[in-house]
Amino acid sequence: MIQVQNLSKSFQNVQAVNDISFTIKKGEIFGFLGPNGAGKSTTLNMMSTILKSDTGTIHIDGKNSIENSKECKHLIGVVPQEISLYEDLSAYDNLLFWGDLYGIPSKILKERIHTTLELIGLLDRKKDLIKTYSGGMKRRINIAAALLHHPKVLFMDEPTVGIDPQSRNHIFEVIETLNKQGITIVYTTHYMEEVERLCDRIAIIDSGKIIAQGTQSQLKELVQTKESIQFEFDFLSEANVNQLRKLLSYTMTQNKNKLLVESTVKELSNVITACNELQLSIKDIQLNKVNLEAIFLNLTGKQLRD
Amino acid sequence: MIITILKKDLRLYFSDKKGILITFLLPIIMITLFAFAFGGVGKKKSAPKPLGVLVVDKDATTASQELIAKLNTMQTIRLIPSEEEKALDLVRKGKNVAVLIFEKGFSDAVAADAALPIELKYDAARDIQMRIVHTVLKEGFRYHLGKINVINNVKLKTTSLIKESSTKAHPGLVQAVGGTAIMMLLFSIAAIGGGLLDEKDAGTLKRLLIAPVKPLHILLAKMGTAMVVSILQLTTMFVFSWLAFGLPIFMDTFSLIVLILCISFAVSSFGVFLVSTVKTRQQLQGMSTIIIILMSAIGGSMIPISMMPVFMQNIAVISVNYWGIEGFFDIFWRQLPLIAILPKMGILLAIGLGMTLVSTVLFKKNIIAIE
Repeated sequence: MIQVQNLSKSFQNVQAVNDISFTIKKGEIFGFLGPNGAGKSTTLNMMSTILKSDTGTIHIDGKNSIENSKECKHLIGVVPQEISLYEDLSAYDNLLFWGDLYGIPSKILKERIHTTLELIGLLDRKKDLIKTYSGGMKRRINIAAALLHHPKVLFMDEPTVGIDPQSRNHIFEVIETLNKQGITIVYTTHYMEEVERLCDRIAIIDSGKIIAQGTQSQLKELVQTKESIQFEFDFLSEANVNQLRKLLSYTMTQNKNKLLVESTVKELSNVITACNELQLSIKDIQLNKVNLEAIFLNLTGKQLRD
Repeated sequence: MIITILKKDLRLYFSDKKGILITFLLPIIMITLFAFAFGGVGKKKSAPKPLGVLVVDKDATTASQELIAKLNTMQTIRLIPSEEEKALDLVRKGKNVAVLIFEKGFSDAVAADAALPIELKYDAARDIQMRIVHTVLKEGFRYHLGKINVINNVKLKTTSLIKESSTKAHPGLVQAVGGTAIMMLLFSIAAIGGGLLDEKDAGTLKRLLIAPVKPLHILLAKMGTAMVVSILQLTTMFVFSWLAFGLPIFMDTFSLIVLILCISFAVSSFGVFLVSTVKTRQQLQGMSTIIIILMSAIGGSMIPISMMPVFMQNIAVISVNYWGIEGFFDIFWRQLPLIAILPKMGILLAIGLGMTLVSTVLFKKNIIAIE
């Protein structure tokens, strides 16, 4: 659906995007994960046709984004990071305005506004002014405004910034519904949990460069760290550990009453069964998953939120 | 504690360069302008440019020609020979303050010590200049005619070419309404233009650019909004002036409508131009205040143009205010036909067009540059 080749962009002396290439397949949710200032929004601005690259090309559904910018604008929907709405207009009037810019006939536009408001769960508030909405509701209208012309690709630039977990979940559900309807989604964020939940494939970007890309499992293979489970017992002797080693084949490391077992979450029940057999009283269990945060740390030596 | 807060506030205040400009430089410029207009500044070092007074010599005798030559030696006025019809037309159009007419029989009247057949026809809209001309000419006649009896008969008849009547506005009212209306309009339109910067800050401008909308269309739409508001504001002000002060707005309604449209276009493009030159709301506020006040002062919104020194009158032509106010005088006072006002309207349109063209370039550079 989208082919990006050797894309670069600099502002004065700052290299915001440095020779990046990637492909996004039709119908997938593609995540851009990186800290603030990594180059995610600049890349998205170039893909949205509002920023010219210094070098490289972008093709959306086979069309060059510069040479066919007008057609590309109809193919894409963009959810900007800012709440790009008119606060003194109602949600309905905002959507009417944004939809009208795409030349959608009035009758069809009104039907689409109804459907879209229904999708985001704000149909009953459509006549209220945007300024009376909560942050989460504004974010949902911000998404709705990008959907009215039925884009094939939806670019979402950190669409959950500054909202409560409940609203975030609502937005996730909307995104999943849209994806099921066949819309390709490009999602930028610096929250690894969002990428882990939503994205089929991920590009990790830092200092303008893509440092890794692939599915979550492909990315996990890039690092040496393995998943583990840490158990804390009321009492744990060395003899207990030796007995467990006879029952289980995992690598185990003891630290006083704590035991680190190098196994995945799927194998948790095996360990618990063995502990029960030895009548070991488990006080606490902690899962140490290999997540994107760990992968980012491993690849860049930096925290995602640095 | 008070000192600490005071020091902080002063530090913040003096870090705002535009604030300092408004506080210190703008009043200095305004004082200078008013000093030139009212205070006689600059008159000590060099003589002011003489007032051009047209002269029609119907008598065409040695006596009349000699007197004209002698009057022309005075520093305050300059007599410009002309044909009667042409001279009257120039005064009616506000090009010259007055025309001095020597009727036939002037030399005979001088010889017979009789009342002199001379008349000064003038533009009452330029009242102050007219008073100067009248006083100077009377003194000139007394001084140069030299005969005691004749001196006693010097009664310079004065006639206003444009009569005040119930169907005509008082020139002071035209000045007050026209000058104030355009100045206030400039402030309103600068604020509307600032909406573009608000859209930039809110992110809606970015969203507009993402949509299939050309940047030029965004600019023109904003200018269109400013123009609609301008038309409404000017119309409201003139209707109010009609209701409250009896300004005869239906005297030449068509010309007034065309002039309002031209002024609205020029002012709207000026507003968009102002916005295109800056990057933030703060910059706009500082710059628009300075430019609008200066333009209004120079252009005749604050001080009638006729009261200004000649060099300031020459500068005035760069302002929208000047052409707008002159247009209103043409309609309400001089009662000129539309064809005679068209050049002024054309200049307003040209100013608007020029600023629109510059704005389109600056708009792309300053406002829609995405980073």
